[in-house]
Amino acid sequence: MAHRTGTLDVLPADEIRLDARVVSAGVWLFLTADLFYFAAWWFAFFYLRALNNNQAWIMQGLTRPNRAYGLVVLLLAIATAVIFVGITAGTPRTMLARTLGPAALILGAAACLFQGYAMWHLGFGLTEGGYPSVFSGLTGSWLIQLLFAVGWLTTVAAQAGPAGDTVIRPESAAAFGRILLFLAGVGVINYLLLYLVA
Amino acid sequence: MKTIRIHEADRPHALRLLTIWLVLSIVGVIVALQIHIPPGDQSIQGADQSRTMTLMTALATPIFIGVVLMIVYSAFAFRNRGPELVDGPPMLGNTPIQIAWITGSTILVLFLALVGITSLASSNVAQAVGAPGRSIGQSGGQTGSGTAGGSGSELQIQVIGQQWYFTYRYQDYGGVETTHLYLPNDRPVELHVTSLDVVHSFWAYQLGVKADANLGVDNVIHVTPQKLGSFQVRCAELCGLWHGAMADSSGKVVSQSDFDSWIQQQQQSFTDIQKAVPSYAPFYFPDPLTKGS
Amino acid sequence: MVTANLMSERRMLIPNNPITGLLLAIPGYFFGVWLGNVFGLFDDQNTGVILGYTVATAAFLVGMGFLNYPLTRLLGWPVTPISESEPDAGLSRYFRLSLDHKVIGLQYLFTILIMLLLGGIGAMMIRSSLLVPDSSITPPGQYIALIGLHSVMMIFITSAVIVGPFGNYLVPLMIGARRMAFPRLEALSFWLVPPAAVILAVAAFWGGFPTGWTGYPPLSEQAGQGMDSYIVGFGLIALALVVSGVNMLATIITLRAPGMTWTRLPIFVWGIFTTSILGMLAAPVLTAAIVMLAMDRSVQTSFFLSSNGGSNYLWENLFWFFGHPEVYIFILPAFGIVMEIVPHFARKPLWGYRTGVVGLFGVALLSWFVWQHHLFVSGIAPVLRPFYTLSTELISIPTGIIFLVVLGTMWRARIWFSVPMLFCMGFLVNFLIGGISGVYLSDVPTDVTLHGSYFSMAHFHYTIMGGEIFGLMAAVYYWLPKMTGRMMSETIGKLHFWWMFVAFNSTFFPLFIIGLLNMPRRVAQYNPALQGLNIWVSVSAFFLFGSMVLFAGNLVYALAFSGRRALANPWHARSLEWQVPTPVPAHNFDRVPVITGGPYDYGMPNARPVADFGGIRGVTSGA
Repeated sequence: MAHRTGTLDVLPADEIRLDARVVSAGVWLFLTADLFYFAAWWFAFFYLRALNNNQAWIMQGLTRPNRAYGLVVLLLAIATAVIFVGITAGTPRTMLARTLGPAALILGAAACLFQGYAMWHLGFGLTEGGYPSVFSGLTGSWLIQLLFAVGWLTTVAAQAGPAGDTVIRPESAAAFGRILLFLAGVGVINYLLLYLVA
Repeated sequence: MKTIRIHEADRPHALRLLTIWLVLSIVGVIVALQIHIPPGDQSIQGADQSRTMTLMTALATPIFIGVVLMIVYSAFAFRNRGPELVDGPPMLGNTPIQIAWITGSTILVLFLALVGITSLASSNVAQAVGAPGRSIGQSGGQTGSGTAGGSGSELQIQVIGQQWYFTYRYQDYGGVETTHLYLPNDRPVELHVTSLDVVHSFWAYQLGVKADANLGVDNVIHVTPQKLGSFQVRCAELCGLWHGAMADSSGKVVSQSDFDSWIQQQQQSFTDIQKAVPSYAPFYFPDPLTKGS
Repeated sequence: MVTANLMSERRMLIPNNPITGLLLAIPGYFFGVWLGNVFGLFDDQNTGVILGYTVATAAFLVGMGFLNYPLTRLLGWPVTPISESEPDAGLSRYFRLSLDHKVIGLQYLFTILIMLLLGGIGAMMIRSSLLVPDSSITPPGQYIALIGLHSVMMIFITSAVIVGPFGNYLVPLMIGARRMAFPRLEALSFWLVPPAAVILAVAAFWGGFPTGWTGYPPLSEQAGQGMDSYIVGFGLIALALVVSGVNMLATIITLRAPGMTWTRLPIFVWGIFTTSILGMLAAPVLTAAIVMLAMDRSVQTSFFLSSNGGSNYLWENLFWFFGHPEVYIFILPAFGIVMEIVPHFARKPLWGYRTGVVGLFGVALLSWFVWQHHLFVSGIAPVLRPFYTLSTELISIPTGIIFLVVLGTMWRARIWFSVPMLFCMGFLVNFLIGGISGVYLSDVPTDVTLHGSYFSMAHFHYTIMGGEIFGLMAAVYYWLPKMTGRMMSETIGKLHFWWMFVAFNSTFFPLFIIGLLNMPRRVAQYNPALQGLNIWVSVSAFFLFGSMVLFAGNLVYALAFSGRRALANPWHARSLEWQVPTPVPAHNFDRVPVITGGPYDYGMPNARPVADFGGIRGVTSGA
């Protein structure tokens, strides 16, 4: 069993400040790494599209994924990020986090669900050429990362209580908002590529 | 401008090192120039590679000797011989020496790159690797009778890799497919390398030719044989179970007349199976690969 | 101050240790297989096997206790800050999820040495097979399985063999920090390695995989289930590289002690810094490629199948875009080790410190622009070749700088010939040969003959084994007294060095000639005319293995039997890590030290002590 010690003593201010720096640096570094991950997929998109081997980038008669549906998912993800960044930037944090945190969470979860549903009903088979491959891989990667992000968002919301981690170390919680923003931005690029450029 | 001033204490060491280095380097370069580095001179391209490698070896020898000499010399001359640990002179760096070192290595590197790039761009050797050739189908070659001396007409040959052998199709001879590679002497050849399954690499060792065979890709490589004789063909890219056995030592560079009679023979035996063979194309897509079986 | 400690986090659900991890991993595997068969689109087993390995790894990590922290947060329980965590004690901490960077360093060291032994046995089996030119000793299927397992195992090892043990252990000590930035991620980066190694070894039961470490499709798509081990194992290692890179960089950037300015940073830390940048940015590209390969093999997409809108060049480009920085991930920390160790034994300041740092960054930067030299003969656009020839050859300039710095440090020094110093000098000679042979491979016309031959194989063994592993040996001999409180025998160490140096060169130098004489890599059958040279190489390789056995004996004897405790600073070195007591106290420094001098100020008349250990209470970082 865990010790449930009730209220945590407040950490020394210096410790909190240091922690904020560490987490902030870590998030920036992680995002740079993640950018390379998605860049590899974008490279794959343009490379296979340009090669169009055996005329099989987009085979004839391929059902394109629904643009409006993709847009809904994207807007949900953007809303999640914007609301989260909004509440972690504003004060008083506790109150807002308690009211708006669940809202961000619900939006994020909805984005995941909608995207998951879309992945289940692609309208084309994965074997049908280059575009279906890139679509499923890129969207799938994005979805999995969004799932993890929403999972972490849940813990941030759960720690929004009076002695919770979100309140004790607000800057660390706020740094997480950058990951949500990043994923939303990747979502925009993915949308442009997969639904409009392709 | 600072000039390199040699410290009083450095002088004997520097002088000694320089002398030993000069002597060893001269000997080393002379030895290096004697070494015959493969692939040899069976083709223009191969001869160029041998020459370049000799040049590199001759250039690398003084560098190698210099650095190893420094290490060995330091080991003997700058060893602490007493029982006590003694700190050395606190030298933090020497900007002129650093600049000289970096400039020297830059010049050397740029020179080597220049040698590589010019030979890549020069008219004959350029064609060793993947210079774009005529596209297949627009055969401009004179069927059967190339002119010696490498002027004009290139013989077009398709190299097809599959697990675990190479076959060859002579486009200028009705797409006849053979199991061995015969090349007429002194005539430029344009090899179109492709694969029917996994990645192979066509390596005709004595000719100094290597090109990957990819499914759905027409990889062009040029070679001009200049000496009669046989050569080895080997696969140089791991291609599965019998990759090691994917070798054939019966490639031949023959005279034009021998080549003509050989290809006629091949055409005769080919007529029997011609119907079963797909017509000549830049590359072929066989039935889809079964993945992960 | 904070009453909750990490023990509470650890024991929340179940006892967390490798046995629990294993007990969860086995059903996890079968669950994954079942899941794969439910969702699998085709009647092959790959979806199941890939999911099986993935779920098993996740279950293992849960069993180790990695879920406890997220769960604690999720339940709204108080979260313990790392800085206040209770230190672990006892031998069992080495088998648990520990957040102490010193424990993780040693966990890494011994795990990787065991993996090195496995990879080395693989190499011996390969060399045994090559005693004869036909495949009568090892059938060709087993032979290519062997080279696949040897190569990937060694790549796993060499990716982490210096950053893992020495980076984790020493970076906080060297920069005056009491911890790493993200200890949980640090632990994760370690605990991903054993599952990766096990999953890779499991491939042997599927008959291995036929592609070597490069995994070129379509061969890797045609291959059997052994290939799935490659996919998941490599994926885990890539993840570990990212995690460890982020952690190292964040630590070095944010946790330097007051006074530890960028120009006072030990050069080894710079080596870790640059290698972490490469690891963090290159590995995600590999991950993307691995995901594509996994999808091609499981759900039948066609990223790499040109008959269906894909291209195998996509893999080759992504793989080598990762793969070439990857080889500098191997060597940069070794550069760091050599430049770090030499000043302490030359008893002189590092000659041209700033130039050396520029050299490290130059190598790191240029390594991004050279990857297509692996594709010179593959049939990619010929117009790109001159550029890649030039960029590849340009890397010799920053590499030359590293040599200059070391040679300058040894100039007019008072060299103390200890074992670490010997290994550093061996490194220089070996890496020089490796580097020069690299120039032959960077030039397109000569690369046409050398590509894919034993020449290139000899080249990268010279750089990796002759370079990185010699650097590793120097590091083990040098830092073992600090890390374990035991000192290895100098006499046996010197014998080990000379034996290893001679056997290494005797093994790998003839391979340049074998490569020039028409022997491709990865072949079970070769030209009988080359049998004599191959026998020479094989016998030398057995001797080389013997030198490693001697090393293992020296290590085990020092740790378990010698009983002699090492001094806190047996090398009389100036740098910070040697100023703390041995064994290193729980949080490294009672108070964060204030750095007052450089680590290499030997012989300087006005040199200040390296640090003031009185520190400033409450100050945990600076610079």
